[in-house]
Amino acid sequence: MKKKLVAALLCVAMTASMLLGCSAGSEGGGSDDSSGSGSAGKNEMEVEGDATEIEVWTFIELHQQFYTDMAEKWNEENPDKKVKLVLSNMQYDDMHNKLSLALESGEGAPDVVDIELGKFPAFMTGEIGLRDLTPEIEPYLENIIESRLEIYGKDGAYYGFPTHVGAMVAFYNTAALEEGDVDYTTIKTWDDFKEAGVKYHEKTGKYFACVETTAQWMINLMLRQKGGDYLDADGNIDITNDKMVEVLEYIKGMQETGAFETVPGGQPDNEEAYPSYNNGDYAVQIMPFWQTSRCVNYMSDLSGNVAIAPTPVWNEGDEVKSIGGGGTGTAVIASSENADLAAEVFAYIKLSEGANEEVWNVLGFDPVNTAVWTDTELTQNPENQFVKYFNTYPFDALLEIQDGIMALESLTSEKFPSINNEFCNVTLNNIYENGMDVKEALEESQETLKNEFGE
Amino acid sequence: MKKLFYSQKLAPYVFVLPFALTVVIFWMFPIGNGILLSFQDVLKDEWIGLGNYQRLLSDKIFLKAVYNSAKYMVGTLVLLIPFPMLFATLLNSKLMKKPGVFKSVYFIPALTSVVVAGTIFRLMFGEMNTSLANQIIAAFGMSPIKWLKGEWTSYFALLLLACWRWTGVNILYFLAGLQSISTDIYEAASIDGASKWQQFVKISFPLVKPTTVYVLTISIYAGLSMFTESYMLWKGNNSPQNIGLTIVGYLYRQGIEKRAMGYACAVGLILLIIVMIVNLVQLKATGTFDKEER
Amino acid sequence: MKSQKNKNTLATIMLIVFFTILAILIIIPIYTIFLASFKPGGDLLQYGLNLGIDWSRMSLDNYSLLFTGQHEYWRWFTNSIILTVVTVVATLLVSAFVGYGFAAYDFKGKNALFIVVLLILSIPLEVVMLPLYKQMTTWGMMDSYLAIVLPFVAHASTIFFFRQYLLGLPKSLLEAGRIDGATEYGIFFRLIIPIMKPAFAAMAILNGMNAWNNYLWPLLVIRSSGKYTLTLGLNTLINPYGDNYSLLIVGSFFSIIPIFILFVCFQQYFIEGMTAGAVKE
Repeated sequence: MKKKLVAALLCVAMTASMLLGCSAGSEGGGSDDSSGSGSAGKNEMEVEGDATEIEVWTFIELHQQFYTDMAEKWNEENPDKKVKLVLSNMQYDDMHNKLSLALESGEGAPDVVDIELGKFPAFMTGEIGLRDLTPEIEPYLENIIESRLEIYGKDGAYYGFPTHVGAMVAFYNTAALEEGDVDYTTIKTWDDFKEAGVKYHEKTGKYFACVETTAQWMINLMLRQKGGDYLDADGNIDITNDKMVEVLEYIKGMQETGAFETVPGGQPDNEEAYPSYNNGDYAVQIMPFWQTSRCVNYMSDLSGNVAIAPTPVWNEGDEVKSIGGGGTGTAVIASSENADLAAEVFAYIKLSEGANEEVWNVLGFDPVNTAVWTDTELTQNPENQFVKYFNTYPFDALLEIQDGIMALESLTSEKFPSINNEFCNVTLNNIYENGMDVKEALEESQETLKNEFGE
Repeated sequence: MKKLFYSQKLAPYVFVLPFALTVVIFWMFPIGNGILLSFQDVLKDEWIGLGNYQRLLSDKIFLKAVYNSAKYMVGTLVLLIPFPMLFATLLNSKLMKKPGVFKSVYFIPALTSVVVAGTIFRLMFGEMNTSLANQIIAAFGMSPIKWLKGEWTSYFALLLLACWRWTGVNILYFLAGLQSISTDIYEAASIDGASKWQQFVKISFPLVKPTTVYVLTISIYAGLSMFTESYMLWKGNNSPQNIGLTIVGYLYRQGIEKRAMGYACAVGLILLIIVMIVNLVQLKATGTFDKEER
Repeated sequence: MKSQKNKNTLATIMLIVFFTILAILIIIPIYTIFLASFKPGGDLLQYGLNLGIDWSRMSLDNYSLLFTGQHEYWRWFTNSIILTVVTVVATLLVSAFVGYGFAAYDFKGKNALFIVVLLILSIPLEVVMLPLYKQMTTWGMMDSYLAIVLPFVAHASTIFFFRQYLLGLPKSLLEAGRIDGATEYGIFFRLIIPIMKPAFAAMAILNGMNAWNNYLWPLLVIRSSGKYTLTLGLNTLINPYGDNYSLLIVGSFFSIIPIFILFVCFQQYFIEGMTAGAVKE
């Protein structure tokens, strides 16, 4: 009898918790109506009348708001071709894995997807499952920095709409630098940078900038400035080349001064690293321009105390001043029923002049359409949250380096995702966390990669 | 036809049919398929013979993954069998009051999912000097450690996570085993003047052997196929120098992340073989086979 | 005699002290996350989890975010509950059906098949995971709960437990049923199921815990975020491109609560369920 009672209770408890869950669930569902919140999960646009549903996957929640806003504009201008975006925000690795599996099986893929630059080459191998977007890009070509299109392209065709240039710049915490008696405007070369760091560290006891272990922003920049790369001329893996060794040795030298150290999270663009910058534990970030949005969102205490300046170079007057870093290419799935419409709509959402203005206004990125860069009404708009945050006009630094923004060749190689993976997990950790010899660490990784590529 | 279905002869087969179907569809078929795939390069869609296996042997990362899994398994065996057994014996002792409360408290960690538990441990072992782990060692005058970046410190964190989640469960296993031993044996022994320790070594230990074998078997299984703990502790399948990479992690990396399905299937089959061998050795060593033959 | 008694009291005290310390150590991680559920999410990233209490920074903000904020948490929660209930009910019915077949009858091939049960008990699912995944894709079962539940409804360890449980069943009961004119299946559904309730309770809890906490297989199978379970959903919050730690922590803490309440109410079944395999060797 007692056992019966217990079993009955169990059922009641299960049902009760289920009902509880359900009613709460429907509440949660109800609040979906106001579209474009910045939370994880799914968001649906509210559209009146007939609209084609377009499923979009992204791994950056900030993009959701932007796409929804732009799609609303599109709907206003094209009442006969209304679209309704259904956005899913997923975890970074998980989204790319699911995309590749969906493309392979020909089932379950969305219509549109944000593919991260580092993962893009993986979708350019074998039979390409993405739609050729060249015709949609054509009308915008003249105003766009071409190197940013090529990274999402193959054999002269473009498969992704770029979001931004992501030019590498330096973010200086001016309040901290004042304390350390360092004037960032005098820093021109990497030697100046290193020297300033030592001085700063002596004075304040804090770190000047971080040594990266989970990303290669600064490393790629320094490497490209030297004219180096990860692959040799024949496309074979060659990470033991002299230029690579020089760059990593140089950074190791910086670390040895004690003024530069690894940061929690391993790089400035990481949730664990933001607090370290926000606190002033580290004073400088060498990052792509889009770090503006991370500053505003995750390092709010620094508001009014950050200056954006061109990054150092090896020798004053060097031709290569910066490179584009990171990025997402928005791609359209070729097999999608609505591929043509999706391509048209997203060309508008990402490349139209209005869109490029919004890329700056809303996201704080450096748009690929450089016409926006000189529009001071926008770039110096005192109401803009990014203009408010930084104590220099953000685009001043960009205009200074505009003609010197290059790209690393190997970024588009299908080998790059694996190289990147090896560097961010093994090589850089070996060198900067475990004190392994640079050459030795590179040789070890070279061997691992050769095994993987079957070279 | 209907009559046949209801006949006493056929009925047993109908009863076990769901299982038989499951075995064929969801175990044998995939294993067979996995064997076939392991001889292929699935992306290029061609047969490559033993190519995948040859590559495995020279693949240092795979060997590292095997080493990590084995190391983890050994650690869990060393910590999660003797101590829970001892704790269970103490809890079972007549001197102990209210063992039930403790039993329940120790069980609580098993209720948390690995996703939650792993996140808790990741943040407790954060590298900032205010994380719990660093606060504790600071109390002993040590400077902060980057726990999850070092091979042995992260091993410690992984094992602690495993102990935290499973000590209580294993105590329950051993308690159940101990409680099936008649108290008369202990009384007789204590009349003969055997000390508590002697009683533990001479009576409890041999008599809970079936439980020990069971716990050993599932610990080997769980240790070698560990994945989610490491996935949560390092926020993904990548860890510095692959210190957190396990066999299943490598299978996931190759099969899902790099889409080398054939290569990943070879990894899976090696895992199957390792689990089988370790368990056979273990069952042989503990004499479980002999008992069944008798 | 008296000194013996004193000695025993001392031993009891020592034991209680020892086990209390152990209990405190075990509770600490849960306590830290409980504390953290009142702290701002950003603090976690900045300071990690610790036992520090700073009243000025503690608030119920995370809870109001959990209950009134805009997020998918409750959808995940509902999905997890549905999936858990469906898994438990289906697994128990099918596995009991099979377990009964093994316990009540002698038939050709029974031993061989039973060895298969034992074998599967010791094979990690991960071994077949990828080929199974590939198969599910070809069968068009991806992104459905069916693919999560179906392969495991005839669950080896549950079958094993039910078989052990039913072995002690008096055969006379079955004979009586047959004389009353019940069919073989009628016997199972009308006579056996009612007497299996304690075994069901134990296995419901074991399978329920597994289903509630299941991660890797659903991660592979489920694609659309509308179908995410709690474990999958919580993991999407661990994302370098967002600041979701408030929800992650309060959500994680809250996810323990339902299963904890069930545990407190039905402890004995939890313990029976967990130890089921170990005792009856």
